[in-house]
Amino acid sequence: MKTRGKKLVKWIGIGLGLLILGVVIGLSVMAGGLGGAYGMVRYALPHMHRGTLRVGDDAPDASLLALDGSSRFHVRERTGARPLVIVFGSYT
Amino acid sequence: MQIYKDYKDHADFLTVYVREAHPTDEWQMKSNVKEDVCYAQPKTLQQRVAIANDFVKRFNYPTQFGIDDMSNAANDAYAAWPERIYIIDERGRIAYRGGMGPFNYHPEEARAWLASRYGEVKHEAPAAVPDKKNN
Repeated sequence: MKTRGKKLVKWIGIGLGLLILGVVIGLSVMAGGLGGAYGMVRYALPHMHRGTLRVGDDAPDASLLALDGSSRFHVRERTGARPLVIVFGSYT
Repeated sequence: MQIYKDYKDHADFLTVYVREAHPTDEWQMKSNVKEDVCYAQPKTLQQRVAIANDFVKRFNYPTQFGIDDMSNAANDAYAAWPERIYIIDERGRIAYRGGMGPFNYHPEEARAWLASRYGEVKHEAPAAVPDKKNN
């Protein structure tokens, strides 16, 4: 029984090791290297969310600052007359 | 921004600046160094405004532009980060929900939605993007 238990632990260890290795390799390929994989896990994944909005839902409103740095407007102020294409993003 | 050029007579466009995806103090990309797009993650709204203005100036960006608060309220409401496209119809409902960027960011899907309504539109492609910022 002891021998069988040791073998089981050994194979579980090997399996977990291979799983971790696979995840690291997969992330490295997606992110362009080990450093990229670290960056993705450390800085990107915590901020990435699928969200709950679905087609047909009421569009959420949000207050936005204009480029002049002082005036504001709401997303919903820009909807109604025609479809509104909203593109979210940043510079980098 | 070809889709804007092609469909601006049929739809409104709004670009929303959200927190930086690849700032110098987080996960910086080599391509951003090469293109001289190097910014730290803004800590204040004024810093976001400055970067957004740099972006608009560099690309002569044509659409309406809004900047998300430091609370990231717009980002949270739309699960927008790092990049995402939505189309809101005239009734104020989500008509198209794009996938999360970068892997599921497909502007051609938004284009297809517009084309299904207004037909295929294709204007001449815009001039090449400048190599350096602040040009």
